[in-house]
Amino acid sequence: MSANNYEPNIVAFLCNWCSYAGADLAGTSRVQYPSNVQVIRVMCTGRVNPLYVMNALQQGADGVLVSGCHPGDCHYMEGNYYARRRLGMLKDLMEFIGVDPRRFHMSWVSASEGHKWKEVVEKTVEDAREAGPFEGFRRRRIDW
Amino acid sequence: MTAKPKVGVYICHCGINIASTVDVETVEEYAQKLPNVKVARTYSYMCSEPGQVLIKEDIKEQGLNRIVVASCSPRMHEPTFRKAIQEAGLNPYFLEMANIREQCSWVHEDTGEATEKAKKLITASVAKVRLLEALESKEVDAEPAALVIGAGIAGIQAALDIADAGFKTYLVEKTPSVGGRMAQLDKTFPTLDCSACILTPKMVDCASHPNIELLSYSEVEEVGGYIGNFDVKVRKKARYVDFDKCTGCGDCASECRVADRFPSEFDQGMGKRSAIYLPFPQAVPAKYTIDPESCLYLSRGKCGKSPKCQEVCGAGAINFEQEDEFVEFKVGAIIVATGFDPFDASRKPEYGYDDYPNVITGMEMERLVSASGPTGGKVLISNGEEEIEPKEVAFIKCVGSRDESVGNEYCSRVCCMYTAKQAHLIREKLPDANIRIYYMDVRAFGKGYEEFYDRVRRENVRYIRGNPSEIFKRGNKLVVKAEDTLTSTPLEDEVDMVVLGVGLEPRADMRKMMDLLRLSQSPDRFFLEAHPKLRPVDTATDGVFLAGCCQGPKDIPDTVAQAKGAASSALIPLARGKVTIDAQVAEVNETTCRGCGFCVEICPYSAIEMVTVNQFGHEVEVARVNEALCKGCGSCSAACLSDSIQPKSFRDRQILPQIAALGAMK
Amino acid sequence: MDLEKLRETAAEVAAREDVKYLIGWKKGTYGYRVAPGFIEDADGAAELIFSPLCTANLATYLTLVEKLPLPRGEEPDDRKTALMVKGCDSRAVAQLLVEKGIDRENVVVIGCPCPGMVDPELLAEKYPETEEPAEVKWTDDGFIVIRDGEETSVSRDELLAEKCRLCRYPNPVISDIMLGEPVETWEPAEDEGVNEVENKDVDEREAYWEEQFSNCVRCYSCRNVCPLCYCQDCILDRLNPTWVNRSVNFSENTAFNIARAFHLAGRCIECGECERVCPANIPLGKLNRKLAREVRDKYGFEPGLDPEAEPFQASYKPDDPEDFIL
Repeated sequence: MSANNYEPNIVAFLCNWCSYAGADLAGTSRVQYPSNVQVIRVMCTGRVNPLYVMNALQQGADGVLVSGCHPGDCHYMEGNYYARRRLGMLKDLMEFIGVDPRRFHMSWVSASEGHKWKEVVEKTVEDAREAGPFEGFRRRRIDW
Repeated sequence: MTAKPKVGVYICHCGINIASTVDVETVEEYAQKLPNVKVARTYSYMCSEPGQVLIKEDIKEQGLNRIVVASCSPRMHEPTFRKAIQEAGLNPYFLEMANIREQCSWVHEDTGEATEKAKKLITASVAKVRLLEALESKEVDAEPAALVIGAGIAGIQAALDIADAGFKTYLVEKTPSVGGRMAQLDKTFPTLDCSACILTPKMVDCASHPNIELLSYSEVEEVGGYIGNFDVKVRKKARYVDFDKCTGCGDCASECRVADRFPSEFDQGMGKRSAIYLPFPQAVPAKYTIDPESCLYLSRGKCGKSPKCQEVCGAGAINFEQEDEFVEFKVGAIIVATGFDPFDASRKPEYGYDDYPNVITGMEMERLVSASGPTGGKVLISNGEEEIEPKEVAFIKCVGSRDESVGNEYCSRVCCMYTAKQAHLIREKLPDANIRIYYMDVRAFGKGYEEFYDRVRRENVRYIRGNPSEIFKRGNKLVVKAEDTLTSTPLEDEVDMVVLGVGLEPRADMRKMMDLLRLSQSPDRFFLEAHPKLRPVDTATDGVFLAGCCQGPKDIPDTVAQAKGAASSALIPLARGKVTIDAQVAEVNETTCRGCGFCVEICPYSAIEMVTVNQFGHEVEVARVNEALCKGCGSCSAACLSDSIQPKSFRDRQILPQIAALGAMK
Repeated sequence: MDLEKLRETAAEVAAREDVKYLIGWKKGTYGYRVAPGFIEDADGAAELIFSPLCTANLATYLTLVEKLPLPRGEEPDDRKTALMVKGCDSRAVAQLLVEKGIDRENVVVIGCPCPGMVDPELLAEKYPETEEPAEVKWTDDGFIVIRDGEETSVSRDELLAEKCRLCRYPNPVISDIMLGEPVETWEPAEDEGVNEVENKDVDEREAYWEEQFSNCVRCYSCRNVCPLCYCQDCILDRLNPTWVNRSVNFSENTAFNIARAFHLAGRCIECGECERVCPANIPLGKLNRKLAREVRDKYGFEPGLDPEAEPFQASYKPDDPEDFIL
């Protein structure tokens, strides 16, 4: 399949207080953006086990996004700092084993950044589209 | 938990907000076929009374035990639907919401795409809801007492309100006297009330109130616990004066061997004090304090043959052996009212504050015009030989505010008005002086402020729109270099005196408070409130509230209003006597925990501790969560290599199926 | 190192009342193999050796001990374990202390400054068909290999194990008793193995690891030998939730290897045991060393040096790199 005629499937983990609220604000502001990103809400990016990223790719995602509060703004003070360190390491590892870096992104989107959320979604979708469908270590049969 | 999941999916039209973009009937049909789904329905407004009844009846009639509501953001109506299903006899946590409005119908125009996405989101919700567990909120008793940190006008007001409501209040003040910045002010804008006259009665009240325990010259050292049950440890610094014996007569200060040698903090360094001192005449408590750094005996071990203060104190109150004491107590709520620091004018070297004695700050001006100030209220400057009255006076506003070069983008909100007030006070004292105010904008937003500003302008105070670039000396004069931006005229304005309208900054020592109470800073570096609009006195730490300038620059009426707001918020747990603890907290599987303590290190609330348990005869260390402290962020669980600590409702075994459901629908 | 001194010290320690046993290396029964020795009394110490064949990291035995249920009334044996460590092994001990995997007072650490180990595979390649237990000794500039009584000198470069060429801490970082003087440290070699993979483009890397991971038989030897993989109940064995399916295929093997490597990020002390024991010869060390390099270069952190350090995965710095953030 060529990179241009497929719709990437993207799983996003958003913290409840900043990015999820920012995505809600994009909605209330009627900002339009691609529909490829499916959000899983967690209380804090610190909750995002880096292995979720691996798991999402294994289970059918073409791209993964983790988004939380800007540094210093975490509702729980420090969760996003831990997330940044852990996911930074994971990104290095994934790249090293040959996962296209365009498949994983992390962003800081505050509750007031509805427009930034749109930009982040667009960038994530565009990158995943360019990277093409993820076949890599995709699981053949996905049960839930 | 053992019952097979029977899921009801409720798809909201939200009028046309959802239904005009998402094909709700198609989604309904799709949802009916999902595993474990017993019922799927659509309705125009799920949150309405009939919408809720629909869900409740299905729960009762169809025996549903898990509910998915596909509608707006859970941030909007999760509490509504939790309550609804609880009324129908279900555990309120057996609910999952699929956000098909804010994150679907409102952001995607294409019906096909939006409908597909709605299906995915609902699938993921169904995948998760089946695995949710029943949770119970717990209540714990709240200690019927409060701690107020900082005894400026904010702290005093908050303490008085809580104490008046009948609760014990500990009021901790770092300096020897209550009163704070307001005590230093001369008159208050725009009413020109004497600041001390309106403040001192409150100062006296808070010292004499039967419910207030005033801990002056004291600092909070440790805070543990959580809302309803904070454990507080306060250091009472040694005054070297027996608090009970001191009569406040002042003989010690006048006889001190280094009398009137040290810059008085209260007079902004313009007046002098002795090593043993009362910060100002109306100080509360009216008890003397020895500054160990300036006292000869304490700093050098010798003061003449014997310390003079000791000799003259009739009450025998001087005690050089005194040591810091610690007091510990429990409170249910805490109010932070630690105030601000005035901007340090040295950080704008172009204004020559460090070089020219006649360039002074607004705070110094307050002391200069005050009848109790170092000059007895006379506005005097030195011309090098004698003290004279200035003829030409310039004010510069926004010094250290609205200035990215010093890192302060914000407006300090009081400088416009205090410069106007000070211009008025100078006008009263020096009817012939030429007064001008350099400004960027005039912000006179409060009650009576615009009127006051007009009045000051009519008093022949010139407002020049321009931000001076430099102040330098020419002969005996100070030259203010600026541009009048309304007429595009460059100016070199020769004056006798410049008053810098310095702004308000977060306190330099606020980090200590942040660490003690787990507070955050907003971008302006003041303390961060829980919500800028709807929870302006709350913080992210439950049971800790903000009052006054520690949260952001404020004038006195706003400070008092916020203090009263903080007091009433703090009173909620105290008056109720109980606090509810969030049910979505972390839980440890003690049989798999390897005791590494990563979670303990990570937890920003110190909610996890290591405990020793006996496992089949072996003593092993495992983590344990204090549910009252845990906020359910889950940072611990992402670091747990054995997945032994998990936040309820956000467990790996609840999230991984969500991921799979989204992936499987590709 | 003076073998007499080693045995003497070991005998003293093993004889101590408060020591359960001493774990050291002893001569193996076949070729270049060396066996772990669990010495319970002074006599047993005579078996101990320390030679360039002692590659195994014995620290793993500290956490492998199974805590079997005790009959009612019986007290657990809480005597100390004595352990002989090289530089890399000592880092595992230090890291275990950071993670509270062991208590400091429950171990007696006997430090063995290490001039570098031989790579047993290189040795076997060079001198195949060695069945009788062989010996290897250090010389000033290399090794002497003794097979069937015949001595051969080999240069250091020829036989030195990869992990030792890269080693930055040949001297134990933590010990109660140090045997001999510290060795002179050497300039660690450039990690060509990691560089080579890094220099591939992303598709080549994917192909490279696909080939490697496809060989994985999921025996979990890498996990079991690792001194820092010591969860009693590993998430990769769990069914609820299932992180990794049990089936052996490229997808699950990759997930397993990602999870294993990631769990060691900022924890791996680069002893190379995982790679040494891998029956499929998967270059697992590259995964670990890549992460260790990032942790060192980008985050300025090295695990297993300071028992009081904050664990890497449970800490952060406000200025941690965030160039990857949108």
